Amino acid sequence: MKRTILLIEDNEQNRYLTTYLLRNKGYDVVSADDGHAGIARAEEGGVDLILLDIQLPVMDGYAVAARLREGPATSRIPIVAVTSYAMAGDREKALASGCNGYIEKPINPETFVSEVERYFLNSGTAERT
Amino acid sequence: MHAAWVRVVPGVIQRLFFAVAIAIFVWFLPAYADARTVVVGVYENAPKIFTGDDGRPAGIFIDMIQHIAKKEGWTLKYVPGTWAEGLERLARGEIDLMPDVAYTPERAMRFSFHSVPALSSWYQIYAPRGSAINSILDLNNKRILVLDGSVQQQALARLSASFGLQCTFIAVADYAAMFRAAARGDADGAVTNRFYGLRHAKMYGLEATAVVFEPSDLYFAGRKYVSSALHAAIDTHLAAMRTDHQSVYYRSLKRWSSEEMRYVIPEWLKMAGLLAGIVLVMSIAGSVVLKRQVNARTRELTLVNQEMERRIIERTAELAEAKERAEEADRIKSAFLATMSHELRTPLNSIIGFTGIILQGLAGPLNEEQSKQMGMVRSSARHLLSLINDVLDISKIEAGQLTLNAEPYDVRAVVEKAVAAMRPLAEKKGLALSLFVDPAVGEAHGDQRRVEQVLLNLISNAVKYSERGAVTVSVSEQHGYVPHGEGATRSTEALRLSVADTGIGIRPDDMATLFQPFRQIDSGLTRKTDGTGLGLAICRRLAGLMGGEIVAESEFGRGSVFTFIVPRDVKERS
Repeated sequence: MKRTILLIEDNEQNRYLTTYLLRNKGYDVVSADDGHAGIARAEEGGVDLILLDIQLPVMDGYAVAARLREGPATSRIPIVAVTSYAMAGDREKALASGCNGYIEKPINPETFVSEVERYFLNSGTAERT
Repeated sequence: MHAAWVRVVPGVIQRLFFAVAIAIFVWFLPAYADARTVVVGVYENAPKIFTGDDGRPAGIFIDMIQHIAKKEGWTLKYVPGTWAEGLERLARGEIDLMPDVAYTPERAMRFSFHSVPALSSWYQIYAPRGSAINSILDLNNKRILVLDGSVQQQALARLSASFGLQCTFIAVADYAAMFRAAARGDADGAVTNRFYGLRHAKMYGLEATAVVFEPSDLYFAGRKYVSSALHAAIDTHLAAMRTDHQSVYYRSLKRWSSEEMRYVIPEWLKMAGLLAGIVLVMSIAGSVVLKRQVNARTRELTLVNQEMERRIIERTAELAEAKERAEEADRIKSAFLATMSHELRTPLNSIIGFTGIILQGLAGPLNEEQSKQMGMVRSSARHLLSLINDVLDISKIEAGQLTLNAEPYDVRAVVEKAVAAMRPLAEKKGLALSLFVDPAVGEAHGDQRRVEQVLLNLISNAVKYSERGAVTVSVSEQHGYVPHGEGATRSTEALRLSVADTGIGIRPDDMATLFQPFRQIDSGLTRKTDGTGLGLAICRRLAGLMGGEIVAESEFGRGSVFTFIVPRDVKERS
């Protein structure tokens, strides 16, 4: 069964890029362009992993992660922050707000998918379970 | 009069006046000596005539004769002596005038007298208080002091004899001695003229008795046959003076006959007094001035103080504001960096991402030219990314946001990894890249990623700026290193990571700016050295954060050695 990845990303090109890479590796990709839409989609179910941009309009990634962790339907879905934030403490902040992993932008298209795959629940390599 | 005038003149002027007066006196002396010099005998019989405290003749007779001499243009010359001596000198013609001489027929035989009496006087007996001498009869069996050779002696002798009294007369040279003796009780009474008695009795504790006798007129006695001209002048002036109650005559009488005990202040005391007065006035004036100045100064200081306080408060406020602004600027800077970092990386993410996808052939096959051009896009994008990363790094360091991990790491492994990363480029340029690690180096503690970053940068530079020869990386221990950077003062164990090259080297002029951001030196090889210009600046800051440093040595045209010194134990920094 194909795994479904929810991509919450506001930049259209990056959304396309990530979707392209993941689909190329055989994943189902659903996407949302802001936090509220993302949470709504996640609550619908059928999502195996969430790729979460941190810099989002209205509701930032940290808040989205926190909300997902609170929701009974979404609390166990692995969340991987993909962010171009690279200031001190960003990684820690992301992990503290409920993300399982952290991938820095710009992504390396050659290694990106395998990095993401580490965070699937049954992969055993998640930073946080 | 002269003496009176002198009294009111301040000391200094007085002295000056005397000096000038004496000078003038000496100058004109011969001329006046020819005109008329009158020699006057002086003896002690105050207040009629006596030597003043200043050593100059004074008294009623002197006042009179000085007035007359001034009017007549005489020059006066004084010859002091006793009463008897004075008369003797007059008789011998050594002096012209003897003042205070009572007329007697006998004297008239020897001396000449003018007609208008200078003074009228009488004799009176003075005795210690409570002497009970109330009349001439009370003088019986008394010892009476008399002036030696005076008229009074004869008169009193005649008088007492006529009353059948037995008196003992004790002759004394002057009145002062007489009163002293009377005060001591050496005698029962003393005979003086009324002037002296009036003036001095109280001083000696004596009182005037009712025994008054021998009224007499007193004159300036002159030389027989010689002094008629002098006497004529004296008469003229005396007559004039005696009719004028404001004249020297009356003023002198009043001044010298005052019954009040006149205490004559010595000249030195006057001087001292004057001086003390001046000093006092000056010091009062001085203290007033000083007080005013002190007050003014105090006010000034208070104002200055207030001004200073105001300024300090202002400055403090300004500083607080400046600090706030700086902190705000820092926050803005950090926010700006974060935003820029995100905004720059977002498009870069898709550029690098899609370029990668295309170059991987995921989107379909590429021909050779397309591959080459897409490779250039990717290379440029990666350079742009490294620029952004460097700017972000240095900004993080300067904003104090850079964190350091602290984990044990194997030094050799880290160095080998960095060398390995650079080996392809070195080999491509035909450079020998060699590594020497002292086996004693072993393990260290700190942020291995940051150590690697610095080392990579240094090796990368060495390779970049060398066209031939070798790049040599050597690692050794450094004992007793005194760390640089924050809070480090004690010496510590450190590592030396040296990167030596045989490249273009650095001009001495460029050494100073070597570690400043965006100071990529003019290598003459600009096309080939595409760094960000931030590498060394970041390295130096990173080294500093780790308590170490980077030392650069270079010989222009021959090569450079960059040594990264890092303490073995670097604390975590978050």
